[in-house]
Amino acid sequence: MKPAPFEYYRPETVDEALGLLAEHGSGAKLLAGGQSLVPTMNFRLAQPAVLIDLNALAELEHIEPDGDALRIGAMTRQRQVERSALVAERAPLLHEAVPFIGHPQIRNRGTIGGSIAHADPAAELPVVMLARRARLHVRNRRDARSIPVDEFFTGLFATALGPEEILVDIELPAVPPSTGWAFDEVARRHGDFALVGAAAVVTLDDSGRCRDVRLVFSSVGDGPVLAHEAARQLEGEIPDDAAVRAAAGAAAERDVDPPSDIHASAAYRRQLVRVIGTRVLARAVERARNGSVS
Amino acid sequence: MIIEGTFPFAAPREVVWELLQDPAVLAQAIPGAKRLDRVEDDRFEGEMHVSVGPVSAAAFSVTVTISDKVSPERFTMTIEGKGPLGFTRGTARVELHDRDGGTLMKYRADLKIGGKIAGVGQRMLDSVSRTMTRQGLEALNREVQNRLAGISVGATSRSPAVRWKLSMVLLLLAIVVLILILRLA
Amino acid sequence: MTSRRFFGERFTRNEDARLLRGLALFVDDVHLDGMLHVAFLRSDYAHARLISVDTAAARARPGVVAVYTADDLGAYWQPGPLLVAPPPIDGLVFNAATQVPLIKDKARHAGEPIAMVVAESRYVAEDALVDIVVDMDPLDAVVDLEAALEPDAPVIHEQHGTNLASHVVQQKGDYQRAHREAALIVKRRFHYDRGVAGALENRGVVAQWDARCEELTVWDTTQAPIPIRSGLARMLGLLESQVRVIAPFVGGGFGSKIMMFYPEEVLLPWAAMRLNRPLKWIEDRQENFYATTQERLQIHDAELALSEDGHILGVHDVFLHDTGAYNPYGLTIPINSQCTLLGPYDVPNYYTEFRVIFTNKTTVTPVRGAGRQHGVFVMERLLDFAAKELGIDRVEIRKRNLLSSDDFPHNHVILFQDSAPLVYDSGNYLPALEKAVDLIGYDEFVREEQPRLRAAGRHVGLGIVSYIEGTGIGPYEGARVTVEPSGQVRVATGVGTQGQGHYTVFAQVVAEVLDVDLDRIHVTTGDTREFHWGTGTFASRGVVVAGSACHEAAVAVRKKILGLASDALGVAENDLELEGGRVRVKDAPERAVDLGELAVRANPLRGAVTPGTEPGLEATAYFGPDRGSTASGVHAMIVEVDRETAMVEIKRYVVVHDSGRVINPMLVEGQIQGGVAHGIGNAFYEQLVYDDTGQLLNASFMDYLLPTATDVPRVEMAHIETPSPLNPLGVKGVGEAGAIPTGAAFAQAVEDALAEDDLEIREIPLSPNRLFEMIRDARATR
Repeated sequence: MKPAPFEYYRPETVDEALGLLAEHGSGAKLLAGGQSLVPTMNFRLAQPAVLIDLNALAELEHIEPDGDALRIGAMTRQRQVERSALVAERAPLLHEAVPFIGHPQIRNRGTIGGSIAHADPAAELPVVMLARRARLHVRNRRDARSIPVDEFFTGLFATALGPEEILVDIELPAVPPSTGWAFDEVARRHGDFALVGAAAVVTLDDSGRCRDVRLVFSSVGDGPVLAHEAARQLEGEIPDDAAVRAAAGAAAERDVDPPSDIHASAAYRRQLVRVIGTRVLARAVERARNGSVS
Repeated sequence: MIIEGTFPFAAPREVVWELLQDPAVLAQAIPGAKRLDRVEDDRFEGEMHVSVGPVSAAAFSVTVTISDKVSPERFTMTIEGKGPLGFTRGTARVELHDRDGGTLMKYRADLKIGGKIAGVGQRMLDSVSRTMTRQGLEALNREVQNRLAGISVGATSRSPAVRWKLSMVLLLLAIVVLILILRLA
Repeated sequence: MTSRRFFGERFTRNEDARLLRGLALFVDDVHLDGMLHVAFLRSDYAHARLISVDTAAARARPGVVAVYTADDLGAYWQPGPLLVAPPPIDGLVFNAATQVPLIKDKARHAGEPIAMVVAESRYVAEDALVDIVVDMDPLDAVVDLEAALEPDAPVIHEQHGTNLASHVVQQKGDYQRAHREAALIVKRRFHYDRGVAGALENRGVVAQWDARCEELTVWDTTQAPIPIRSGLARMLGLLESQVRVIAPFVGGGFGSKIMMFYPEEVLLPWAAMRLNRPLKWIEDRQENFYATTQERLQIHDAELALSEDGHILGVHDVFLHDTGAYNPYGLTIPINSQCTLLGPYDVPNYYTEFRVIFTNKTTVTPVRGAGRQHGVFVMERLLDFAAKELGIDRVEIRKRNLLSSDDFPHNHVILFQDSAPLVYDSGNYLPALEKAVDLIGYDEFVREEQPRLRAAGRHVGLGIVSYIEGTGIGPYEGARVTVEPSGQVRVATGVGTQGQGHYTVFAQVVAEVLDVDLDRIHVTTGDTREFHWGTGTFASRGVVVAGSACHEAAVAVRKKILGLASDALGVAENDLELEGGRVRVKDAPERAVDLGELAVRANPLRGAVTPGTEPGLEATAYFGPDRGSTASGVHAMIVEVDRETAMVEIKRYVVVHDSGRVINPMLVEGQIQGGVAHGIGNAFYEQLVYDDTGQLLNASFMDYLLPTATDVPRVEMAHIETPSPLNPLGVKGVGEAGAIPTGAAFAQAVEDALAEDDLEIREIPLSPNRLFEMIRDARATR
């Protein structure tokens, strides 16, 4: 389990990294935390000719307020996100989800941007991004643009990132009042790839009806799966237990088309969507009612 | 593993059949086809190299043999592919049926996959095969629509000597190879 | 024997100072000048004829020193030895087929080595693997145990004309009569699937040929360095004294490292001599999943005949055992299954029959438990089902059938793995069961807690099972104990050590006799230069057999010490005592002499000695028991099942264990805790998934799930000490115990938690996906 030979670069600025990426094209891979890429290389399933190591890019390692929003640099370690008071305050769903990622050793090394750009359908962070309507800021050698998350995840391990683009910054908008959130997942062991993961963000109006519902699942499709039908059913309704269960049931039956593998059949995954969909929605509603977020 | 399903084309069977004879159309939908040579009447050898997501694999050599061919209804392919990461063996059967003025393609592949990719790629196998199959077929359906609308990719006149089965081979091969290569997260 | 107490105390481990500071030597720590690195090309196919191998491109790659295929080995190419001969059972069928160093005609399991590359680095060696062009013709694979015996099944070993590796019938009493007389027959089919040994350290070999000294040194992760030394000498045409095998610190064995003459173990020494360069091969985790032996798949069709009041009249069991591609380890595992099934119970009539099947999967040899799990699972599950049908409490039905403390020695008539009749030496089963019932709070749980929690919608269940374990079998081990002039004591024995705490427990055994501080006793294991007679570490026998040898050697040294001290102090031996590294006069402790001083006297450099005097305060002794000693115990656990997600949480785990006399409770408890972790893995997490072509579908720790620290509860333990009469220490083995009954306890507990679903769990492991299906199916059929 030794990787095939490759050229290695360790740029010190984003501009330098973008120049290298443009120069080497599709033969190059970006190395962030390396928690997926390095094992893939050791198995020789990935044999990039060139590795561009982003770990010296201090400019991509930050957590800071941006008006009411929150900005997190793409190379910020998951462990830093987990321990950030600012994240806990302004992005409580992210704060709740990060401990589910692997183990502390993995989060010490793994980055927020690396996981989002990798777009593993079992990963936690893409789910959170989609649930929270994040904006993903990317750059190439000449331009910068920001991509709404609804357009970012385009398929299995596929994103809207261009071949010469690097994800530099993640922007999470402010949480509206009367909003609750929850994250949960079922995994064989803590830290394993989830059999199913789920995030819910629910905003209530003054009459206690759902104004906005985002329910997102991992491990049931090509990427994070937004449960449109479940949200449609709940919006405008009082989210009592029956409504929440019905919405999660709708997600299981109509929003997801889960795969089967050696760990879980599609039928089992549907059951888990129903169960943890219900659980995260119920907890999000409860938090929204309690005004946990102002 | 079994990959099976149906796919509706919004076009008569003859149009779909003709489309499937056009290698240029298929080549557009299939990344990574480096080479495919007909070595005998019903036997093809080729080489694929595909990179998607984190996985970029070395070349796979593939041999496909066609049998049970009933034009324009069905055929069976026997597929053998191998490379440094593993191998695949198996058969794939494709049928075209008239359905509601359009065409329903039924496909069923029974593929045995072995070696390194079998040992470490299971987590992604089902998603990858379904995704790639769907994407390939959707690309074909778009081309069907283009043709019905009179828009051609301009390749239909090229390589008239290439037989329909080569095209079909390419499509299924691409599916097979993509499955092979994409399985690791 | 001495004034201080060395047995039964929680001494911290002598080896830990080195291990914790990173100073312990493991095979991969061996770095030698000019050392080259080895990688193996392995078959992708589980069953395929080898047509050609072209290594030209690999040889031409810069940095590659040599590439070998089977043809290059010449006469050195030989199948490995049959390690364990089948016991002398009437009518026994045994078709031997042992592993080969490199494939010559065909591959019989995925991962079987085809070629060996030697290069300047492991990186280059792996690059060169890709250069080798192999042409293979795939054959249909044998995977399913029943299909393997169909007349049209492909045959793995053509010379046998069948995939049947063995057929054995053993009987006690007359089961048919028991069947006729029974009030109840409980008959079921049981599955127990395959897993890996999962040692933290994979296998590894470093081989160095010293042409000037004409000496071969091999560092090997083996559990059995002495037999490896002897075998390599024979194969390479060397004197045994020219071969030194060192099994240094080894990061876990769990049985798979007792498998001897693995291809890599045979090939590296040969190539090191041929190239006259030191070679290193360290198995990576992916190789380990294919190339290191595994265990556990059996399918049992079993029935239990009972009287109306729940007494066992007889057991009838017919099972299939998967041995994988080869059967170098003989019948140890299925015979253990046969013998362990009887458990701590009085079973007057027993019919047991098995067939061993060759399959195109990695070879099976013992892994921690070695077939005992299956027997316990079958018997305990049958008792559970019988209890339910008869309306008898599950603890009560066990109590009614336990052997009583005056039933020993108890002869079960059939032959055990050591070819001796299965005779339990000693035991005291009822107190262990009662203690476990008490510790887990069985009565209160069943009467109050469970109903209360059920009423609150929670699904909690309890499992409680008994088991016995044949341990500490022969043939023998030896040890040498030496008192040096410094007063320090050296102990050398031949068994290898893989983390058990041998350096501590053997020191305690010697200290108990010589009364020397533990930190002045230095134990060496697993180096054939230090000690070169013995067999190895397996079958829960290290302390029982090698420990007893240490004791016997220490007793002999003590005799020498007392003889010399008697002369030196002018006092009769009876009036002397040993204390703190000195010999002193009982009534006049100020009159004393250091052991070191006696050691100097024992080795006079001038003058004369009495003819026949042996020099030095040193003795070598050997110990071989008549037969194995029988350990026993009870496991109990409480689980909670999330019925919606089918996830299971183990809330409590209790073990009451009888391994005879306990020398160091901390070490015993460590073994049990680790064994339970292994057992929990087998029960709920670990399963090697093979497809019908013999491909392993989860060959990494991404998909093969070992339980981690967060998945294993802290085990609550109690010890019962029933000394074994078969060895001077009164000990029984404990290394495998924790892993043996876990599956049976888990199944009972989960079933109990889901009582409303009326499930029957007859298979292990039980993944949440499978449990979900069972819950769904149970619901559908009601």
